[in-house]
Amino acid sequence: MMTSIPTPLAQLKPGTRGRVARITRDLTGRAERLAALGVTPGASITVLQTFPGIVFECDQTELAVERAVARSIFVLAE
Amino acid sequence: MPCAMSPGDAIGARTPSLLRLRAHPLKIALVGNPNVGKSVVFGRLTGRYATVSNYPGTTVAITSGRALVGAEVCDVIDTPGVNALEGVLSEDERITKQLLVTGGAELVIQVADARNLRRALMLTSQIADTGLPMILVLNMSDEAHARGITIDIASLSDHLGIPVIEAVAPDGRGVAELREALPSARRARAADHARMSHADWADAGAKSFRKMSVVSRGRFQEWIGRAVRKPLTGLPILALVLYLTYLFVGVFGAQTLVGALEEGLFNGIINPAAIAAAARIPFPLIRDFLVGQYGVITMGLTYAIAIVLPVVTTFFLVFGFLEDSGYIPRLAIFSDRLFRSMGLNGKAVLPMILGLGCDTMATMTTRILGTPKERLIAITLLALGVPCSAQLATIMGILGGISVWALLLLFGVVLSQMVLVGFLAARALPGDRSDFILELPPIRLPRLRNLLTKTLIRVRWYLGEAVPLFLIGTALLFALDRVGALEQLTRVARPVVTGALGLPGESAEVFVMGFLRRDYGAAGLFRMAHDGSLSGVQSVVALTVMTLFVPCVANLLMIIKERGVRVGLAILAAVTVIALGTGSALNFALSILHVAF
Repeated sequence: MMTSIPTPLAQLKPGTRGRVARITRDLTGRAERLAALGVTPGASITVLQTFPGIVFECDQTELAVERAVARSIFVLAE
Repeated sequence: MPCAMSPGDAIGARTPSLLRLRAHPLKIALVGNPNVGKSVVFGRLTGRYATVSNYPGTTVAITSGRALVGAEVCDVIDTPGVNALEGVLSEDERITKQLLVTGGAELVIQVADARNLRRALMLTSQIADTGLPMILVLNMSDEAHARGITIDIASLSDHLGIPVIEAVAPDGRGVAELREALPSARRARAADHARMSHADWADAGAKSFRKMSVVSRGRFQEWIGRAVRKPLTGLPILALVLYLTYLFVGVFGAQTLVGALEEGLFNGIINPAAIAAAARIPFPLIRDFLVGQYGVITMGLTYAIAIVLPVVTTFFLVFGFLEDSGYIPRLAIFSDRLFRSMGLNGKAVLPMILGLGCDTMATMTTRILGTPKERLIAITLLALGVPCSAQLATIMGILGGISVWALLLLFGVVLSQMVLVGFLAARALPGDRSDFILELPPIRLPRLRNLLTKTLIRVRWYLGEAVPLFLIGTALLFALDRVGALEQLTRVARPVVTGALGLPGESAEVFVMGFLRRDYGAAGLFRMAHDGSLSGVQSVVALTVMTLFVPCVANLLMIIKERGVRVGLAILAAVTVIALGTGSALNFALSILHVAF
């Protein structure tokens, strides 16, 4: 099933796969740092874990992030 | 001849010609994303060992070594890993960038994780912007194949216009090819050439040259990787890891080995022999200096070799194993919330755990943290609460023999002080913390060879650096004792030591030693606990104060180097006050509650 509305990564359940739709830009350079780790629009994502921290796989990189970061990553779930 | 290069090959003036007469050795920088194996390639090229571990941020400073390429000597430079060379950079990333932009690097070997072609190319594109000639090494290609990833090396090389080499550096695969390819290094054709953004260009490149077939993910390593990060399995595993570490370091190292060395070797053989030999020396002063109460053999050498060395060695073995397994960064997931309350984020678990090995090195590792505020808090907490391996040795040696509860009480008090100080510092200091974004390395079975090499180097470092200081400390104490200054110092410190802390007067001299290095002080306590002049409660109080002191002179110097004299002295003052205050409060509480160990 393909939903057409991008959802923040923080709201996705473990096991969800999808593609990054966009990343909220702010003044802290969060989007830049994520981009440097390969989290850019179009990148494929799999949610691995949501508690105590959010862990996801982006391309071949496993990343752990805090909830605030996961809220700014919008994913088109597949 | 591998170094030869025809003039027709040159594109642009910055392409090095290795056979041209040069005024200085060619400077080659190893650059790449964190944790891709730059230090392994460095070791293979130069024959020098740079610490190799399995987590991002092992290398936080530049290491250089000489390598022979063909007939020419080159300077090879190992650099801290970078995710980007543009935009927001952490302090260790800036070090690498500076080397490429103004530091005189003439050729870049980009080391990449073969699985992660997309991220590698993103960096390739930014290195290309510096204009430096380069080579791309796709390391860990065995792991990539195991994951069903294949890369069309020849086409990728054509596309980039640079040599691309597949390698498995720990086995030495691809290293000979790398040496041969050095003269063919070129500036890469990347995003700028294609008039695209770095990300889009890297995306397109990865799509065209990387093939991924679906392989089953049922590998054992991945199962472990999952188990250690989920709370239901991860927390019991953490408890088990701590318990096994305690068994190996605290029981086997601090009791079995220390017992054998101290009682058997030193008190049984070396010290009696030394005393017998010294009896022939006609000068009493020299005799006392060697084998007296503060003698360099009977006190200094016995502590350094019999008490500290076994624990440092067993600890470094466990520590190296955990480092290489990829386990430590996963602890960040569990500790992120706690660290956030202290103005840090989960990433700080790396310097904190490294501090258990050596606080001085860990102070340098705080460079991986995002903001100056985070670095300041982490450096303070390291100085305040994290006991280094040598100190763990004495803590476990003393309290291990008393009771596990005494040990837990000490760690409980120290940990709560760290949380309290962190909590207050987070609110009092200006500035922000950075986002928690951490790359988790794959879980790997540590290679025995690397584990042993690393442990050997660390033990050798302990022997070469800590033991001489230990002996100097003993000599200093001996001198202070001789000129009567020790008595004066003890008298001045007595109100605090005997009054507020409730310790015997002679422990004042132990604190004098503790200012030099915490573990020497603790080693003095070890002797007092053994000959019965310290009770269980007194041991806990004394060790708590000692643990909360600034670790050693070297650590203080490192803090000053990293953050300046003012900050260094402020941390020293704050930490000393907190240490004495906490000790007094603990002594008060324990005596009111009539606790005995």
